[in-house]
Amino acid sequence: MTSMFLNITAWPPGLVMIIAAFALPFIPHLARQGWMLAAIALSAYGLTTGAGVHAVWEVLGFELILYRADKLTLPFAIVFHIAAALNVFYSWHDRKWNEHMASLSYAGAAIAAIHAGDLVTLFIWWEATAVTSVFLILAGGTSQSQPAAMRYLLFQVTSGVLLLAGAAILAATGTGIAFDKMSFGGADDFGVWLIFIAFGIKAAFPFLNGWLQDAYPEASATGTVALSAFTTKLAIYALARGFPGTDMLIWIGAAMTALPVFFAVIENDLRRVLAFSLNNQLGFMVVAVGIGSELAINGAVAHAFVHIIYKALLFMSMGAVLHQVGTIKASALGGLYRQMPFTMVCCIIGAMSISAFPLFSGFVAKSLTMSALGDTGIVFVYMVLLFASAGVLEHSGIKIPYFAFFAHDNKFETGEAPIGMRVAMGIAAALCIGIGVYPDPLYSILPYAIDYHPYDASHVTGQLQLLIFAMLAFVFLIRMKWYPPEIPSVVLNSDWFYRRLAPRLAAPLIGGIVALSRGLSQGIKDGRDNVINALENLMHNPITGPTVPGKAVMLQALLLSVILVLAYVVGA
Amino acid sequence: MANSSKSKSAAQKPAPQPSALERLGSRFTTILIGIAVILVVLEFILHRHGEYAFEDFPMFPAIYGFVAFLFIVQVGKWLRLVIMRSEEYYDD
Repeated sequence: MTSMFLNITAWPPGLVMIIAAFALPFIPHLARQGWMLAAIALSAYGLTTGAGVHAVWEVLGFELILYRADKLTLPFAIVFHIAAALNVFYSWHDRKWNEHMASLSYAGAAIAAIHAGDLVTLFIWWEATAVTSVFLILAGGTSQSQPAAMRYLLFQVTSGVLLLAGAAILAATGTGIAFDKMSFGGADDFGVWLIFIAFGIKAAFPFLNGWLQDAYPEASATGTVALSAFTTKLAIYALARGFPGTDMLIWIGAAMTALPVFFAVIENDLRRVLAFSLNNQLGFMVVAVGIGSELAINGAVAHAFVHIIYKALLFMSMGAVLHQVGTIKASALGGLYRQMPFTMVCCIIGAMSISAFPLFSGFVAKSLTMSALGDTGIVFVYMVLLFASAGVLEHSGIKIPYFAFFAHDNKFETGEAPIGMRVAMGIAAALCIGIGVYPDPLYSILPYAIDYHPYDASHVTGQLQLLIFAMLAFVFLIRMKWYPPEIPSVVLNSDWFYRRLAPRLAAPLIGGIVALSRGLSQGIKDGRDNVINALENLMHNPITGPTVPGKAVMLQALLLSVILVLAYVVGA
Repeated sequence: MANSSKSKSAAQKPAPQPSALERLGSRFTTILIGIAVILVVLEFILHRHGEYAFEDFPMFPAIYGFVAFLFIVQVGKWLRLVIMRSEEYYDD
């Protein structure tokens, strides 16, 4: 134990970032950025310890595995560190310490969670990601961001509580708390289900996804970038660790890819469009985890890796627009290609990556999942994912860059985003193209050894046909003026059930209870008043005839009673 | 390519000068159609094959992508009738 604390390479990666975050309020602005990068570098250095179990803590008869590394943790750990570093550059202009502290400790907690070898340690970091990240939503500073942050926290904490309850059941039924592949149908079935739902909330399964589209777009320009990277991909890691090859996930994932597509078409807030798009991307990873073959798990991990970078890039470009223009509503934007050409180019690189254009990072990752799906023979899901690919192109590939940078020639008086934002976007864009052109380094860190070549003529021309002709459909709709216009509006999502339906249903019930308790307390008050009034009446008003007052009668009655008692005593 | 599209759109609409954005749009359309033509030609030169046999149908990904896009947008339009509310919906 002592040696573990002395040797930094045995520390759970990410922990050093959380500790470093506490010093941020006391460090001046520019030095603070350097401090954060140093903490991230130190944490990344901890990864060089390599595969194995490096830190175990015996407590209350349980073995808490604080640091377990293997081939599944490594790619997630690497990309989480990249995302954390990108975020430091992106928020370089921010002179206040609050958001930096939240995002550094949030990234640290997510990295530590990846390395948890048991469910209790996982629970601790799982909740830590919730309580650190909520400050990024509060930092949005709008009238909507505070209630959205509270709803977000409610869901995240619920997920944690379910995880802990599940772990308790697993411990009680003798399965133990080690975090490995779980299976349904045993004595611990109920516990496994609880854990599955806990993961499902963070992975934004259908109907458990409301918090994502509700809260992420309400965070600050820089906060959404950090949020987009960690929580949901931590959930993908957890599913890949605990539930690989669970058939149910194929169907859940397919629904996740398809449903958000329709919402994204009509959403006006471009960061919310990206949140729907994020949900759709998670669907691809969930399908891959559900297939569970070596190729599929590689696909899920590779997809998570490239997705974190291009999704951050897209959120960064929209954050830059929000930072410069002050709004991110499609109905109020347009024509920014003139004022923000660099941001526009970066956004389009992110858009082409997520749409999986050949030579961009999305292509080399998504091909793995599609090939793995081809091996299963589940044609329907294959068709759904192909359809969802056209959907990704629609909302992330076209809608985001088109409505922000083109569409209408609005004459905004603004310029490019701060230099830090541009540096972060530039690095992310370079990674998107670099991985797309030369995927071998990415393939070499995937969990299973792989000999896969995405660039064959069939793959490339097939994918280009899908994308180019879908883009022609867009051009056709725009030229015919059939493309739905941007309308300032909100689009109802699964958060409607608890933001509107539940309060509306509960209102009569709560109203009834309030009315009943008011009526009861009024009744008691009235009764008490009546008794007091009767006594008052008795005391002040004449009772027998016009001359004898109530007081005299009372006194008389009292004296007679005393005499009566005395007579009894004497008689006895 | 850029010049021809510019003169073409100018010839169609002589009265108002096309804006820079419109010129950009038509240039983009021209390039897109150019790539589409190349893809159609390649389809008959290369032997393209997919994960499943039905994908080998000539121009299958192109047709699927085009139709899927139109379908998504149309369903989106219908969905607006059901789940679109004013921006103040949750405020009251």
